Amino acid sequence: MHDEDKILACVDRSHFAETVTDAATWAARRLSAPLELLHILDRHPEIGSGKDHSGAIGFNAQQALLTELAEEDAARSKAAREQGRIFLNQLRERAIAAGAVAPDVRQRHGDLEETLVGQQSSVRLFVLGRRGESAETTQRDLGRNVERVVRALKKPILAVTEQFQEPRRVLIAFDGGGMARRGVELVARSPLFQGLPIHVLMSGKATRDGARQLEWARTTLEKAGLAASAALLPGDAERVIAGAVHEQEFDLLIMGAYSHSPIRTLLFGSKTSDLLRSARIPTLLLR
Amino acid sequence: MNSIRQDWFSNVRNDLLAGLVVALALIPEAIAFSIIAGVDPKVGLYASFCIATVTAFVGGRPGMISAATGAMALVMVMLVKEHGLQYLLAATVLTGVLQILAGWLRLGALMRFVSRSVVTGFVNALAILIFMAQLPELTGANATWQVYALVAAGLAIIYLFPYLTKVVPSPLVTILVLTGVTLYLGLDVRTVGDMGELPDSLPVFLLPDIPLTFETLQIIFPVSATLAVVGLLESLMTATIVDDLTDSSSNKNRECVGQGVANVATGFLGGMAGCAMIGQSVINVKSGGRGRLSTLTAGVCLLLMVVFAGEWVAQIPMAALVAVMIMVSIGTFNWASIRNLREHPLGANVVMISTVAVVVATHDLAQGVLVGVLLSGFFFAHKVGQVLAVSSITLEQGRTRAYLVTGQVFFASADRFVAAFDFKEVIERVRIDVSRAHFWDITAVSALDKVVIKFRREGAEVEVIGLDAASATLIDKFGVHDKPDATARLTDH
Repeated sequence: MHDEDKILACVDRSHFAETVTDAATWAARRLSAPLELLHILDRHPEIGSGKDHSGAIGFNAQQALLTELAEEDAARSKAAREQGRIFLNQLRERAIAAGAVAPDVRQRHGDLEETLVGQQSSVRLFVLGRRGESAETTQRDLGRNVERVVRALKKPILAVTEQFQEPRRVLIAFDGGGMARRGVELVARSPLFQGLPIHVLMSGKATRDGARQLEWARTTLEKAGLAASAALLPGDAERVIAGAVHEQEFDLLIMGAYSHSPIRTLLFGSKTSDLLRSARIPTLLLR
Repeated sequence: MNSIRQDWFSNVRNDLLAGLVVALALIPEAIAFSIIAGVDPKVGLYASFCIATVTAFVGGRPGMISAATGAMALVMVMLVKEHGLQYLLAATVLTGVLQILAGWLRLGALMRFVSRSVVTGFVNALAILIFMAQLPELTGANATWQVYALVAAGLAIIYLFPYLTKVVPSPLVTILVLTGVTLYLGLDVRTVGDMGELPDSLPVFLLPDIPLTFETLQIIFPVSATLAVVGLLESLMTATIVDDLTDSSSNKNRECVGQGVANVATGFLGGMAGCAMIGQSVINVKSGGRGRLSTLTAGVCLLLMVVFAGEWVAQIPMAALVAVMIMVSIGTFNWASIRNLREHPLGANVVMISTVAVVVATHDLAQGVLVGVLLSGFFFAHKVGQVLAVSSITLEQGRTRAYLVTGQVFFASADRFVAAFDFKEVIERVRIDVSRAHFWDITAVSALDKVVIKFRREGAEVEVIGLDAASATLIDKFGVHDKPDATARLTDH
């Protein structure tokens, strides 16, 4: 085991933490790669406590306030560190029980995106929840950090949902583009999917080029010894894929993610985000 | 996008409440500082609104409060007395332009020459000036026993009311109670309405009514230059204080430009020049304000309250404002610095006390800071000048004397350097090893020349060793911090 290829499970105190741990454990076992559970503690100097609205300042007001604020911060940091440690240790127990070999835990201060980008050279696969702690109380399907973080990373990302069970049927959303082709090759190579039936699904009009691409994907996977099937269904990608997931009980979706520029996404929306929203199963995003 | 959201909307509820608390404390200050400057209260109130609102958008330190200030008001007194309000407005615009230039030239970096002792002196002097500005209300014909009673009652409410509840700002309670008592008892004391015009409308854009001549520039430029320096000094000091309090960082050059833009806008809206306020910024942070929204709320609430409750504001007794200003003065003063006088070195104390003394004597914070900075430099040069040792030994059976120079040679230590050599000694050869010394300036080099010539006159041969390395520090851009062997260069060569 060398540290270059670890599986990094990013957990926070949302209800995704356990499924992230389970999914990461599954991947670590399959890839026989080391597993690390990462918990990021962020500080919020931009948020005040606002308990005192008396507006009165007395002797040594500035020094007294500095001491008070520093003590509050110190107490908060210590509490967060201790809670985080206990939380991470519980997840480590869970990972060991699920068969992970010596999972490591780590807490870091800082911003999510910055921390993950800093770590990515030694990471083989990131595992994240679709929403974090900050989205816990909202109705959004997709946390607002997800697109930002996924765009910043250059390694595959497994975005998990509320439920996780070991995948039995895998679906590849295929559009014939460069990223999708690289994705198919990666799936063919990776031990993660050995022995699993893989279905390659293409949506849109039936063109001869499309059929050829699809055939290429199927044979590539079969050559790698996978049980592959392929289909081309007319219609809107989002609806076709959501329908297939629902009807044929796939439990892992693979697709390329955010190949277009952020500006295009701002104008036309993102197919990746739409698919992530409509497919309610764990999704492996390829960069 | 992300930082806009963070600067403005990450702390909405606390920012709104803190802004309101600050606005309530700003009203008495703005009125008081207008009176110091000798203009109608509306000039200070418009200024406080405009400066707070503009710096909320363009300032470099979210959560810092800028408005009309005492430090600035004191500088403009003579200009207002001799030339009137219109010249003050023009001077305010020019102040803003100078501050924008300072920001573009990145002069904020010069703040590193302002030592801790100077900052303490500045803050203490500011507190003393704010207090002294209240004295006209407490002495002379206005000062009846009713005024003293009201001020005492006001201070009691300010400091005791928070023990009851911290939900309502106690300065507001003071103002309400004292105004109510004055009206109910029909006391004959001076009120805000007696001090001049209050705003009756939102501010309007107007050009200062002055002749655009060189003579005008001669009148306003010295005042504007002083205002610009004082404003930037207090703003950058306050920004550092807020940085420390909130454990975050700020953009100092953007703050310089922001202060400038705010002053330009204020001049055109009929307000006086202002800058950041230490006391109000502390109140804001204490009340939970962190983001730009708190500053904006303070400015907007201030204007709304004054414009729509102007009749009531006119009824506020001056004694209530005096009480609030005494609180600000007490809260601004660094009381720990008095205790520290016994522990700190004499040089630091002299710098701090000189800064205070010069400001109180001249009413000009810029002059005080200048004296403080000069004295700090003087004491530092003196201290580093002590770091010089010259030892010697005879070699070759008394034919040669070898001097070893260690330490810093520059203008403050050059005389000691020369005095360390024994020119009267009868000797064949003199060897001066300067490889462990630093020659910092031309004075040091000429001192060495002098030593060499003196020995030659006595008939000795002189040899200087290691001069190249020692004088590497001579060139103006001497800097080793970016070289890999920095530590070695500074200690070993």
